[in-house]
Parts: sequence; structure tokens; C-alpha cells
Amino acid sequence: MSLMEVDGLTKAFDGKEVVKDLSFGLKTGTCVALLGPNGAGKTTTLRMLAGFTHPTAGTIQFDQQSLTTDIRQYVGYLPQFPTFHTWMSGLEFLVYVGQLSYLTNAEATDRANELLEKVGLEDAKKQRIKKYSGGMKQRLGIAQALINKPKLIILDEPVSALDPIGRREVLNLMMDLKKDATILFSTHILNDAEEVSDELLLLHHGELVEQGALENLNHLDQTGKIQLNFSVYPEKLESQLKNLSSIKHIKPVGQGVEVVVSDMDVARIEILQLVMTKEWPLTKFEQAKTTLEDVFMKVVNS
Amino acid sequence: MQWSVIFKREMMEYVRSIKWIWVPIVFFIFGIMDQITMYYLPKIIDATGGMPEGAEVNIPSPPPAEALFMSINEMNTLGILIIGLLSMSLIAGELKSGVYELVLSKPVKYANYVTAKWAALSTLVLASFFIGLLAGWYYTNILFGELAIDKFLVAFLVYGLYLLFFITIAIFVNTWFKRPGMVLFLSILLIIFVNIITSILGHFLTWSPGHISSYVSTYLFTGNITTEMWGTIGTTIVLIIGLLYAAVEVLKRKEL
Repeated sequence: MSLMEVDGLTKAFDGKEVVKDLSFGLKTGTCVALLGPNGAGKTTTLRMLAGFTHPTAGTIQFDQQSLTTDIRQYVGYLPQFPTFHTWMSGLEFLVYVGQLSYLTNAEATDRANELLEKVGLEDAKKQRIKKYSGGMKQRLGIAQALINKPKLIILDEPVSALDPIGRREVLNLMMDLKKDATILFSTHILNDAEEVSDELLLLHHGELVEQGALENLNHLDQTGKIQLNFSVYPEKLESQLKNLSSIKHIKPVGQGVEVVVSDMDVARIEILQLVMTKEWPLTKFEQAKTTLEDVFMKVVNS
Repeated sequence: MQWSVIFKREMMEYVRSIKWIWVPIVFFIFGIMDQITMYYLPKIIDATGGMPEGAEVNIPSPPPAEALFMSINEMNTLGILIIGLLSMSLIAGELKSGVYELVLSKPVKYANYVTAKWAALSTLVLASFFIGLLAGWYYTNILFGELAIDKFLVAFLVYGLYLLFFITIAIFVNTWFKRPGMVLFLSILLIIFVNIITSILGHFLTWSPGHISSYVSTYLFTGNITTEMWGTIGTTIVLIIGLLYAAVEVLKRKEL
């Protein structure tokens, strides 16, 4: 079932289109990464979905309803640089935004305490936000996005500004959140997308260049890498390999080579046949998993 | 419900940032400053000297109505400046800092957001103005002769409306611009504009809010509430409602 359907979403600032004709759907209960280099239009897209920026063209459907109702009550949003009323304590701020979401004072307080515990801020809840560290603010930002039990959680670069420990904490938190809600988050860090997301939307220059489940991305089938290691480095290895039709690129790595191939199935047979006829002392034949980075670089560079 | 949540949070901010202390004190000083100086002026001139031997300092003591109006005159200049400073970042500050991203991503009705902030600032300003004018009235009674309490109350209510009008202008400008300095500048420019237009076209615009202080002054002397004054009160209320409505609509359509 589809929680959100976006069709032809376009945004132009002063005639310059920063988001061009995006169409995608978010399935209920998935975690989707909106991936792209800086300036690809990720933040603009998320701000349109959260209702801050009005699309120049296109429609957003939420839960089978068009956007005539106020979707803000179903969406939790974490901006890229969350700013708070820093003179308030973490607890006060959460209770405030909870009440803004039509919770009663008692409900908001219960929910705020529950969330503060979940994001690991219960010891600091009475402290002024002024005294919070960057990581603590980010976690408070996530807590405030969850205050009204949203169906969709939109997180703009939730981990980019954090140190490795903070990043780990937030990623774990996101894994946990996946159980109850649909998550859409943007990032330019490939590992994060790979780690927690079920699906990807790859944005480049405002256009959606790739979408789908990570393992199904069609770029992945076409090319691949094979790592070959030898106990003794064979003579004329590279020139011999170069003659094979399926091999596009060869890079020496330590005791062997890394080859980029155009067709994995053909290359596997060709290489192994060559190894057998030449009797090369092969110690390792590894089909390297094409990582998201490969896809990303391929799309961005093409 | 949502309205009172925002209103209470604003009040809490005024308490924490000690605005509930300094604003009333400042208005208190504005309220009594002129009466005290006026009363002690002869003594000050005497003490500082510089007058030729035998010259008599004879400054006529102002009538009580004029003495109370001096308080309002201070509000009209310094008071407006203070209110401008208080309101310049009411909404613009939140838009600039980015707090709005967290507040307005919640299902907050824009009308609640604008009017609750307006009401909170109005409460602070009117309370402070009340204290200032009350002090001015008290000193008027002690130093310059008796003035009935209903004069004080009517002056408070009618001139208070003018202050509300200025707060509303500032709120309206807040929804247009993100830079607090710009908001302050434009709010003050607008109120000056209203006053200039009123003084140029005063004969036609007898109901303009720009007349409020002169009508209050007339009332203090004569004790009569004229038709023009009622008209001005009506216009000002209508303008306040109109500007609040416009502010909400502007914010709703704004590209945040």
C-alpha cells in the first residue's frame, strides 16, 4: 500500500528549476533514502513534502487523499539544522510542540518523557537546550519529529553533522523507528543509505535518476568488479587480460588485479578459462559486490 | 487550546527574558519623567545658577490635564520605539533563526500563531503602559492638582488602542520581512507615515488613528468624548482586525 504518491513535482526559484518533475511513491512501512550530492535538490523536495515550500507544479497525495487536508498532523519533520527556543528545557520544548499537535498537557508530557528516554536524553531533559551538544540537539530534533506519532517521518540529513558515535546512535534509532512508521530521509553519505534504507531515490541536478530497492537497481546488473589474486604475479597478466572482450578496465592491486567487466557472466568464464590454459596460480577469485558508491559515481559522472 | 499554548509559551519567554521586569520599569519611568522634571525645574535652575542676580524664575505650573498628557507624549516617541524593539523579531526572528521549521511543521493554524503572539505582546505592552500612566496620573495629582480617575482610565483605553494599532502594524511587517532591523525600520516608518498623512489631510481624515493622541489631549481638557473620537476608535479597531487578517494571509502564502 502506498502512503504517499508524488507526481510530477517541480519547483522553480526565479525561473530556475531546482527540482524537476519528480514522481515516486512511498510504500507504507519502508525506509527510503533520498540520495544525491550537495545541491541536488534534496532539501527542497523534503520541504515541499513537509508543506513549507509550495510546488511550482505537481501533486502530492497522502494516504490516498490529495493535499487539501493539513498533512502536517501525520508527518514528523526534522530539518537539516534544527533550531530550538534555546531558553527552554528539552522537556518543555517537547511538551510545547506536543500541545501544538493537539495533545493535552498530560498526554504531551507522557509522550515527551517516553521519547526523551528513547533518544537517550532523560538525564538532560530539565537542562536548557542552550547547553545541549550538537548530537543532543539532533536527537531532540528527532524526538520532536515523533511527538505526534506520525505516519511519515521526514528527516533531512539526520546524521551528516554528527560524529561517528552520534551517527551510530541515530542510525540505530532509525532502525528502531522503521518498525512503526514510514521514513524518508535525505543523505549524501552512501554508507548510511545502504545501511538503513530499503529503497533509494537518487537525485541529481533536481532529477530523479534512479529509484527502487537497492538490490534491484538496474545499473548493478550490467557492470561489476572482479578481484583476482595470485600467489606469484604472472608475467604479462595485464596484457593477456586486456585481450578479453568482456574486460573494460584493469587496475593492479597488491598481489593481483581488480578488473571492471561489462558482463559478469561472460567475464567469469573468459577469465577462468584463461587462468586454466595459462596455469596461473590463482589464490582468490572474488566477485566484488557493486556498492552504492559505484552506482552513485556512475550516475553522477555520466 | 492551541492558541493558549502559544500564548503561554510567549508569556514564559517574556518571564525568562525578564521582559516582564524591564518593560514595566521603562514605561514607569516614561510615565513620571516629565512631571518630575517639570516640577523640579525651578529648583534645578536655581541650584545650577547662571541666572543674573535678582532675576526671578517663573515657570507657570501646568494644569493637571496637560501634566498627564506629558506622560502620553513620552509614550508617543520613546514608547513607540520600545514597542518597535519588542516586536521586531516576534515572527521575523523565528523565521530567521529557523525555529519556525519545528513549530510550523506541526499542525499549527497560522491564525493561532499570529494572533497568540499579537495578544501576548499586547498584554505586556498594555500592562506596562497602565503602570506608566497610573504613575503619571499619581504624580500629576500630587504635584499639579487633582485629576479625576475616569480621565486616567479613558486616556489609558483610548491611547492604549493606538499602541495596539502600532503593535499590529509591526506584526504585519513581521510576516513580510525576515530581518528584524528591517521590520523595526518599516514599522516605525509606517506609523510616521500614518501621522504625516493625518496632519496633512487632517480635515478629511478626522477618523484616522493618527488623531488619537490629540483627541485624548482634548478630552483631558474638556472631558467630552467627541464623535470624531468615537469614529477614530472605530477606524482603529477595524484597521487592527484588517491588518491581523492580512498578516495571517501573508504568512500562509509565504515561501518559508
